[in-house]
Amino acid sequence: MGNRITIPFGSQHVALPEPIRFVFQTENEKIVDVEVDVGYVHRGIEKACMTKFKYTQVGYVVARVCGLCAISHTLGYVTAVERLMNIEVPKKALYLRLLASELDRVHSHLLAMGHLAEVAGYENLFMHTFRDRELVMELQELVTGNRIQFDYVTVGGVNRDLTPEVEKELREKLKILQEKCLWLKDVFENDYTIKLRWKGVGVITPEMAIELNVVGPPARASELATDVRNEFNYLPFKEVGYKLITMKGGDIYARNMVRVEETLNSLDMLFNILDGMPEGDIKVPVKGLPEGEAFVRIEAPRGELFYYVKGSKKMVLDRLRIRVPTFANVPVMKELFIGMDYADVPATVISFDPCLSCTAR
Amino acid sequence: MKVEEVKVSLRDVRRAIKDFYDPEEWHFITVNGTDVGGRIELKWFFTKYGEEEAFKVFTAEANYDDEIPTLTYIIPSAWISEWELADLLGLNVEGAKKGLFLDPDSPKAPLRRG
Repeated sequence: MGNRITIPFGSQHVALPEPIRFVFQTENEKIVDVEVDVGYVHRGIEKACMTKFKYTQVGYVVARVCGLCAISHTLGYVTAVERLMNIEVPKKALYLRLLASELDRVHSHLLAMGHLAEVAGYENLFMHTFRDRELVMELQELVTGNRIQFDYVTVGGVNRDLTPEVEKELREKLKILQEKCLWLKDVFENDYTIKLRWKGVGVITPEMAIELNVVGPPARASELATDVRNEFNYLPFKEVGYKLITMKGGDIYARNMVRVEETLNSLDMLFNILDGMPEGDIKVPVKGLPEGEAFVRIEAPRGELFYYVKGSKKMVLDRLRIRVPTFANVPVMKELFIGMDYADVPATVISFDPCLSCTAR
Repeated sequence: MKVEEVKVSLRDVRRAIKDFYDPEEWHFITVNGTDVGGRIELKWFFTKYGEEEAFKVFTAEANYDDEIPTLTYIIPSAWISEWELADLLGLNVEGAKKGLFLDPDSPKAPLRRG
């Protein structure tokens, strides 16, 4: 038994641009205990949404919870309010939401894949992934007006229609992106260095995934067949070729491959969305005030996002609760570190694609 | 949406959830607290794996100074939601540490009314 050494990871660490702090107790570089702090960027967004903003403005405020998955936050909020107020959203608006949601998943998954390559010391692959991600960022700007943090979805529909010119460019660039993602899949799946570095590292067993209520790609990489797109009817995923993807292994490699496969599935869905885009309105007028409570689940790129909304016929909500996927995955991360080599920590943390901006809110 | 809501007293909530919870069948989402004026309404949300929009919700009410029983004996991942309750609503949750979400100089219990 060696000397016990305390090693802090964060709050600022080269592996992760967001502030999270783990304090590891190690013996001979094996982790024996860990403490976690996730609250560096608590901004009081829930409180602000219950005091300062009208319910019609909250959708734009929650888009600021996270730049990357802004669409999921707004979708979660507006879906809850629409259910509370019995608002029937036009079919075309649902398809446009679906389009923005899957574009967002593609860019978020590419970001996670790139970061993971970077922490494996694979700079070249990181740059390739981020270069290809640029294509989807441009498409998001074309569709929503912003590269990230888009205010696209609103209560009752969406804020912008798709023009024929944008649709043409979407089809062209998505085709290019699909080819590039197939190449990336080949590298991530078969590269010797990656397999050697990630296989068998940071393993979440199926039992752990169930016991610790893991969500998102980390759950599906551990054979847990859970995806909100399959379990909550908030957008017509099943009409556009959605596939539930699970893997065996539960390691960093499997978590990354789930994201690779989901990216390709999202790209297929995007073509089907464009082919099947219905005609009609993109928004309905909203009247009245929310009364009662509603809760929804959304599959954000990182996993299950939960929104709880409570109103009492006032312009300002009584309660807004946001439970984000990284928050749900912190307990398994903490558990996973015990017994791990300290050198495997950065890649394991990044394999969860953690978002602290979401977690702290 | 299929929602089964079960109202229980605070002292019975752990037993009620223990009797119902099968981790292979049910996914624990979170526990939420809402200040309803002088009291906190607590809701524990569960959803069924693989089934569309099936939920079970346990509801209990607590006074500000009541001790909230922890569920970590039954659901080990519940600690983070419970620590959040302790921080943001200032509740006395069994075994919860304060300071995970708030700095020492932050306003205390920001999600309480008033």
